[in-house]
Amino acid sequence: MIAIYICAGIAVYAAIRIIAEHNTMRKLPFLNVVSFAVTGIIALLMPHPITIAAAAAYFVGSTLESNAIASTWSGGIKKDG
Amino acid sequence: MDEFIMIACSGLVLIGMTAAILHRDPFDKLISLSILIAGIFPFIVDRGYLDVAAATALIAPLSTIFILMVCRRETA
Amino acid sequence: MLDEPLRILIAAIICWLNFMTIDLIFRLPHSGGVSGATAIAQEVEKGGGKLNGGFMMGNIVSSPDASAGTLLASCGVYCAGLPGGLFAALLVYIGNRICYDPGYAGTTGCITATFIVYGATQIGFVASDFIAGMVIAILTIQGISYVHASRLVARLWKVRCRFIPEDKP
Repeated sequence: MIAIYICAGIAVYAAIRIIAEHNTMRKLPFLNVVSFAVTGIIALLMPHPITIAAAAAYFVGSTLESNAIASTWSGGIKKDG
Repeated sequence: MDEFIMIACSGLVLIGMTAAILHRDPFDKLISLSILIAGIFPFIVDRGYLDVAAATALIAPLSTIFILMVCRRETA
Repeated sequence: MLDEPLRILIAAIICWLNFMTIDLIFRLPHSGGVSGATAIAQEVEKGGGKLNGGFMMGNIVSSPDASAGTLLASCGVYCAGLPGGLFAALLVYIGNRICYDPGYAGTTGCITATFIVYGATQIGFVASDFIAGMVIAILTIQGISYVHASRLVARLWKVRCRFIPEDKP
């Protein structure tokens, strides 16, 4: 039962670190920590076989979102310079 | 789901909402929105709607990608 | 039978060693896989970190690698036993293909982590310990200080290059 408390605490900690960080690209590792922690919470809340598919879909979706944000940001900078 | 998890996930939603209001840069706004969406998921899964959770998890990044097309057109 | 906090700590160390070993073997700190990973690495270097550590952090952010494989394998074993872990390996492979990545590191890490977690459940551990342990392990790399974490990864990458000298950074 301590495991889910650890996941929730780490998620809130990483979200506060995202606000405290001002560089856009350096926010993305903390966002990755949030998505790891939320995937752990999802799996620990409902022990059911379909939960694996839901957790994997959430994790892959979050990763794809970070990937798209980072790629668009670097492309925009290159076009400016 | 007990009170501590509920408070933590509500905290994620509120932190994401506040950050999305306060930031000016569009990329910072999108990162804050993804914190907000991360906070919603444990509430959906706790009721047992696993199919809704999987569908939302795949729709949310697609909407982000469509918003990013607009952002790129403005910066370029 | 140990207490739960001690088990979580041991599980965190096992997960850290697993995903770091596989990421170093599959050359994640060598270069950025996509342009977003390269951008993150350049920003980390601008903030005082090392470039090779930044490449590894960027690759972990922008595609599911061995750390994601370890987490999803623990979730799979927690929800459905040994077949759940192997099903999670298939999902990690599909996720890697979506994110324009070859997907060898994630799939290999997921399969090895499945057998590690399943073996550990036979000797007194619970699979939920490994989920919390993996979240703690990713916190030490990505979440505490990017300067110190990237220096640590760069030092480990130098050690790895000394053992396998044919592919230098």
